[in-house]
Amino acid sequence: MTRLVIRRVLWTIPVILLVIFMTFVLMRQIEGNPFRTSERAIPESIQQNLEEKYGLNDPWWRQYLNYVRNVATFDLGPSLVLRNRDVNDIVAEHFPPSLELGALAMLFALVFGIPLGLLAALRANKWPDYSAMVVANVGFAVPSFLVATLLIYFFAVRWGDVFDFPTSGWTTWQSKVLPVIALGLGPMAYFARLTRGSVLETLQQDYIRTAKAKGLRRRRVVVVHVLRNSLIPVVTAAGPILGFLITGSFVIEQIFAIPGIGRYYVTAVTARDYSVVMGLTVLLAIIVIIANMVVDILYGILDPRTREAR
Amino acid sequence: MKGAPMSITMRTFLAAAAVASFAVLAAGCGGDDGGGSGGGVIDQVIAVNWGTEPPSLDPGLATDTTSADVITNIMDPLVKLNQDLEPVPNLAESWDVSADGTTVTYHLRDDGKWTNGDPVTAEDFEWSWKRTISPDLAADYAYQFFGIVGAADYNGCKKDCAAMRDKVGVKAVDDRTLEVKLTSAQPWFVQQSAHHSFIAVHRPTVEQFGNKWTEPQNIVTNGAFRLDRWQHNSRLDLVKWDEWRNAADVELERINGRMISEGTTAVQAFEAGELDMTAGLPPEELPRLKDTPEYAQYPGLGTYYYGLNIKTVPDLKQRQAMSLAIDRRTIIDNIAQADQLPSTGFTPQGMPGFDTFNPASPWLPESGDLEQAKELMADVANPAKNVTLYLNDSPGHREIAVAVQSMWKELGITTTIKVQEWAQFLEFLGPPPDPSVGAYRSGWIADFVDAMNFLELWTCDSGNNNSNYCDPEYDRLVAEARRTPDDADRFEIYSQLEEKLVGEGGALPVVPIYWYTYVQLERESIKESLEVNALNQTDYTKVVEVEPEA
Repeated sequence: MTRLVIRRVLWTIPVILLVIFMTFVLMRQIEGNPFRTSERAIPESIQQNLEEKYGLNDPWWRQYLNYVRNVATFDLGPSLVLRNRDVNDIVAEHFPPSLELGALAMLFALVFGIPLGLLAALRANKWPDYSAMVVANVGFAVPSFLVATLLIYFFAVRWGDVFDFPTSGWTTWQSKVLPVIALGLGPMAYFARLTRGSVLETLQQDYIRTAKAKGLRRRRVVVVHVLRNSLIPVVTAAGPILGFLITGSFVIEQIFAIPGIGRYYVTAVTARDYSVVMGLTVLLAIIVIIANMVVDILYGILDPRTREAR
Repeated sequence: MKGAPMSITMRTFLAAAAVASFAVLAAGCGGDDGGGSGGGVIDQVIAVNWGTEPPSLDPGLATDTTSADVITNIMDPLVKLNQDLEPVPNLAESWDVSADGTTVTYHLRDDGKWTNGDPVTAEDFEWSWKRTISPDLAADYAYQFFGIVGAADYNGCKKDCAAMRDKVGVKAVDDRTLEVKLTSAQPWFVQQSAHHSFIAVHRPTVEQFGNKWTEPQNIVTNGAFRLDRWQHNSRLDLVKWDEWRNAADVELERINGRMISEGTTAVQAFEAGELDMTAGLPPEELPRLKDTPEYAQYPGLGTYYYGLNIKTVPDLKQRQAMSLAIDRRTIIDNIAQADQLPSTGFTPQGMPGFDTFNPASPWLPESGDLEQAKELMADVANPAKNVTLYLNDSPGHREIAVAVQSMWKELGITTTIKVQEWAQFLEFLGPPPDPSVGAYRSGWIADFVDAMNFLELWTCDSGNNNSNYCDPEYDRLVAEARRTPDDADRFEIYSQLEEKLVGEGGALPVVPIYWYTYVQLERESIKESLEVNALNQTDYTKVVEVEPEA
């Protein structure tokens, strides 16, 4: 297991270099000037001063090498658009809310999704199944921005006196409830469907019949034999979904005015804020790599066969 | 499978649900709300929406209206503009302009003070302006100072910069006298100095903290309000500074500011009582909100226009026909919806001298004139039958473009709409524009209060003339206007310029659509005293919270 972890950690280095390179190339390929934010044209001398200040008039390979060197020393450089801020500040200040939002949404999705799927499978083709799957399908099909807007409308405005949820922000626990639900509903539905399918398949296995034949109590059969063996597809999906929830919550952050990293990521691409895009992409790559690594480790715990295979 | 499994799974499910709710709810306990006053208590504390994170609170570096709105309330400008956009004394109690118009001398009050106790002096301004002009700061708005002797040279210097810095025509004659030498008579200079770029910064603070000087723990200001809290992309709160020179006249105690960029959320936050003011309104909400008592609307000094590429649409009659075909009234009433004013010239209403220079263009009838347009089109020998219209992907532009597309279709023109993402769009327009550009959407909002700021867009070498229009006579008139300090004489020249653009015999490189308005929701308790000026700024020193009339 230790060797596995070490190997995976070492592998991240070339992956991150490749990510930086590709982002670098792509960002320079799309046209656009990071210093021009409005209709106003920038006089030539001012454009030159700006390029000089931010090292954009160096040859591309030098810019690339400089950037890699800075990343190696954990210096992600200054933002080209937010003139008084460094990318390090932005990450330090805005990554925690995104991480918290993503983690809470993940928790919400798992804690509601798995039992919902289990309930549906154990009562397959009966009303608990149908109602659970209606919830899951709706949760999966309705886009998060609509869920968010409806949640705000009903729980913060229309019945605001009853529920006391604010419309937006990320301060008190009340302010976190609606965004977490809005973001977690889709993955919850997905987990419910995955769990249902997987449990139905597991129930057909010989070892379940054996377990029942041994006279084990139903609760033990369900929790130890059925659920544990059904969770592998859920765990497989959980890694990328966690990465997505932490870094891809732009819409939810925008609607609920949450000071997270997703808002910066998208606005930075539109504004051609090269250093912010690069810094956040590297961060995103690291998160996805870590999430996948955690998944691999969980595999080993859930299913010893995969451990031995390595 | 009967009975038992049901109860097990149900119990597991409920237990899980309980754990989940607890986890979700407990996760973020603590933290204070610090939200709006919305509940209707008269405590001179208001909750506003800045709309977005201000990109910079450094007067030298800020280029956007959100930053400007905050900066002008925490800092003390030399002059302010009144509701009629005339300059009025502020930190400068008076100013003199030399007979030839090239020297402006500001006389500062003696009670200006920084929050650390230092007095505000003319040296502060000299240092700050030269800092903004310097190539090292690389400020976008350095060009605001290019009317000052030596400023453009210093900004573009490659060597001997220190010597060039000394040649810049800004000089603190003594603690309270600031002398500015201009390259020509610029009658708008005093108005222009109300712009946030001309605000002084506190030198020791800037030198000590570098680009972190605007953080709340470092910043030193000199305005009516202090920066109390700035949580990036979340909150920015201002509090009245009791030691400000005119603090006795300021009623508001506190401005709690949120940064809700999603228009619909801001409206919902207003309706839930979390905000006292929204900062703009999304067009789709306008029909519902327009008749509420909280709706407020202000004229803006800006023009929404379509540019025409003279090379792609070379025939003047076709450009006249395309302009005539546009029904501005329909666009405003059904799409833009904020009671914008249909343009009758390029420079917007409200600009000083408007009555003199507005051409009341025959090519811009409010509801269009399709018949005349068709007649003109019929005379065009080689009409450009296929026109590509470029726009950026912000809300509202596409809908207007689709309407214009159908209006131009009546003339037999097939319009292809190309929507581009902002940065790409700007690159595409040049100047010179990409040859495929037939028409493009754009807009212009005043930097300073003089029609020059609009009309100089259309000179041959202007960085904002994306139409390929180039008339040496037009350029000559612009240069002449720059040299003309007398308002009446200058407005006459502006009249000729407007005529050349969109008048009877105008070249129509541009088809103005409407003049902007600013709309927002305002709590009735502050509506009476709250004013947004034509540059989209609010002076919070004038705002008073009162018991609304029943």
